[in-house]
Amino acid sequence: MKEGKEFLVGVVIVAGITVALVGTLWLKGSNWGRPTVRVEVLVQDVAQLSEGNPVKFRGVSIGRVSSIAVEPSGLAVRIVLELDPEVILPASAAVVLGPESLFGSWQVDIVQPEFYPGFPFMDVPAGEVERGVRVLGGYALPELSRLTASAEQISANLAELSARFEVAFSQETADHLARAITNLSDVSEQIRDLVAQQAEIAGSVTARADSALTQIEAASRVARRSFERIEGILTDAQMDSIVINVRLASGNIERIAGGLANSSDDLTRTLARADTAFARIDRITAGIEAGEGSLGRLFADSTLAVRAEGALGQLDLLLQDLRENPRRYIRLSVF
Amino acid sequence: MTEFVTQSIRSVGGAAVGAVSTVGRAGYLAAGAVRALRKTDIWTPHLIPQMARIGVESVPIALFIAAFTGVVLALQSSYTFTDSVPVYFVGALVGKTMVLELGPVLTGLALSGRVGANIAAELGTMRVTEQVDALETLAYDPVAYLVVPRVLAGAAMFPVVVILADALGIAAGWVTSLALLDLSSEEFTKGLRLFFESFDVLFGAIKAFSFGITVTSVGCFFGFHATGGAEGVGRAATRAVVVSSMILLVLDAFWAAVLLQ
Amino acid sequence: MSIDFHDVHKSFGSKEILKGFTLSVRDGETLSIIGQSGVGKSVALKHIVGLLRPDRGEIWMDGENVGRQSEETLYALRRQVGYVFQFAALFDSMTIADNVAMGLRRMGEMDEEAIAARVAECLAMVELDGYGRRYPAELSGGQKKRAGVARAIAARPKYILYDEPTTGLDPVTTTIIDELVIRTSEELGVTGVVVTHDMTSAYRISDRIAMLYEGRIRFVGSPEEVRACADPVVKGFIEGRPDLMERVT
Repeated sequence: MKEGKEFLVGVVIVAGITVALVGTLWLKGSNWGRPTVRVEVLVQDVAQLSEGNPVKFRGVSIGRVSSIAVEPSGLAVRIVLELDPEVILPASAAVVLGPESLFGSWQVDIVQPEFYPGFPFMDVPAGEVERGVRVLGGYALPELSRLTASAEQISANLAELSARFEVAFSQETADHLARAITNLSDVSEQIRDLVAQQAEIAGSVTARADSALTQIEAASRVARRSFERIEGILTDAQMDSIVINVRLASGNIERIAGGLANSSDDLTRTLARADTAFARIDRITAGIEAGEGSLGRLFADSTLAVRAEGALGQLDLLLQDLRENPRRYIRLSVF
Repeated sequence: MTEFVTQSIRSVGGAAVGAVSTVGRAGYLAAGAVRALRKTDIWTPHLIPQMARIGVESVPIALFIAAFTGVVLALQSSYTFTDSVPVYFVGALVGKTMVLELGPVLTGLALSGRVGANIAAELGTMRVTEQVDALETLAYDPVAYLVVPRVLAGAAMFPVVVILADALGIAAGWVTSLALLDLSSEEFTKGLRLFFESFDVLFGAIKAFSFGITVTSVGCFFGFHATGGAEGVGRAATRAVVVSSMILLVLDAFWAAVLLQ
Repeated sequence: MSIDFHDVHKSFGSKEILKGFTLSVRDGETLSIIGQSGVGKSVALKHIVGLLRPDRGEIWMDGENVGRQSEETLYALRRQVGYVFQFAALFDSMTIADNVAMGLRRMGEMDEEAIAARVAECLAMVELDGYGRRYPAELSGGQKKRAGVARAIAARPKYILYDEPTTGLDPVTTTIIDELVIRTSEELGVTGVVVTHDMTSAYRISDRIAMLYEGRIRFVGSPEEVRACADPVVKGFIEGRPDLMERVT
């Protein structure tokens, strides 16, 4: 009877103490005597890091912070990490202390300092290396309050920038764009007229060819300027009409190409090149259209501008070729 | 009118005198208990049986309460936390609340009923049937024989019972989170660890320790001063529960103010 | 060596119970204190063992002033005294044998074997052989009283105090208890103080009888003297005639 009671009391007390110890150790993330390797970190400031916080390397948890103490000199803080010995750290390693989540707890992130040139990692004094314990330099990210201050500054800058943006995308610039595209369609109509004349008056072609080419060249300059503007300036409000104009212009250009092809079979090869150029313009406009006039689309896809540039370059090449070897085209059509 | 006033003043005075004399008697009993600690030969044989009665036999009720508290905590915290709070906070809330507050306090309140009333009734019966006097005539100091082993057993066993309750409460909250809420084990333990401090367990144990002393000594006090037969014993038991619950809640606030600064 | 009360006063709240109680108990005698219920007989008895302390006055036992003793010497004095409580006051959680052995164990002078032998001896004396393993709840009122006597005599005290030993018992059991009191006195040679209001019993067991009335001893004398007493208070009490007593007050 008495022994039984003693045993029961003993069982309950032992169970209570075991639960308290095991539970505390488990919640504190102790690693139950698994071997660990000790790595130390010197840092100016630990911010909100505390003992028991996780250590991560390439996003994987590989250990914990076992102690934090201010150096006797008072100039740095020494953090002791207990890490999984199987993880091999890179030769150049440094430590970034930062928040693990928005809700308080911090972590130690082991990084390669060359990827973070902007971070002022603490220099490890030469004497540290000789103790046989690896010592890394560390840097604590600014705390949330400091970050907020920076964010405020950044947003002020952004506000200014967008104000300037607004100015750039005035009604006037949009009108310019629209006018330029109208010009483009005018020019292409002129080209068509030229081709029609070619077909009718074969004999005088050579004489007129020069002026025609000059005209094409001028037209291309206009087109080029137009595309440069498209590249720089696009507003939501004017996009739809711009797109319609561009499509119209490129449709005209296609018709020119068709006319040229009809007038002379031998022009076909060259015109194929022109064709792809026009197709590209078409694709650009289609792309702009798909963006439904939103600036976001253009910002997101900067290649649009690049592609427009490429298309203009091709058009340029074609015109250059026409000027340098006019006979290659004209002769074939005449004779 | 004058009579009413004098009557009122008299009753205030009477209550004050009563309160002072109660405190005085409690202090006298406490001093006696401290002196009686020396009489180890009287109380040691009764320590283990009292630990079994006060501690071991209280484990089931404490665990029962803790289990349901854990379940409710998990459900209520997930209900309270909207999308802006990460779901793993359920774990943090269950762990923190259980260890710091509900584990010790709910267990303490339940045991003030189970243990405090029991002690008051037992000692009250012994008092009114002159068994306490009989102890004295047999040269046993009744404080050493009855009070000391009970208070020591309460002080020793309450923390143990509370820690077991904490553990089961957290486990119940965990199981609830897995079974009824869309939480994974990893999320729950992450939350559990997020704000966990080793000190929390110590804090809970310190509270439980003080609750153990309170519940048992208040039970002893009212039992010891029971008068007037069965009715008196019943009154002693009721008062023991009421007074020890009140002191327990005051102590709860006291420890929070002193230790959580 | 004896027990002496000298001008003892005791009140509970505003209620004065003892008002100058003076009484000497002679060595070896059995003295009964009689009086009406609530007059303070048990209160007087409790003063002897220091369960109550006088407001004024002194109680001497074996040359020691009981009311002035430190706790330690008081416990030492109590070992000289066996106390038989009105309702036996046996410890419910223990067997009868353990109850009887309580005082012996406290003294720490005997080993368990000797204690068991002494317990058996005491139980035999009160004719409760074989009841050692029972619990108080399993005993009748008379048996409980006898067990209480066994517990009181176990440590071989010099004095035994009986608090209403026969109250609430049937006449046959009363006689048995009375005989037990007499036998204890004769066989063990102890000094006995019996508080009772049962006159039959008082006459039977007492060497002397003291009448307590209004906080003081009204009369002390042998049973014969009591019978012959002309004092209306004493006469009224022993004859059960309140009318006689009222005339005095």
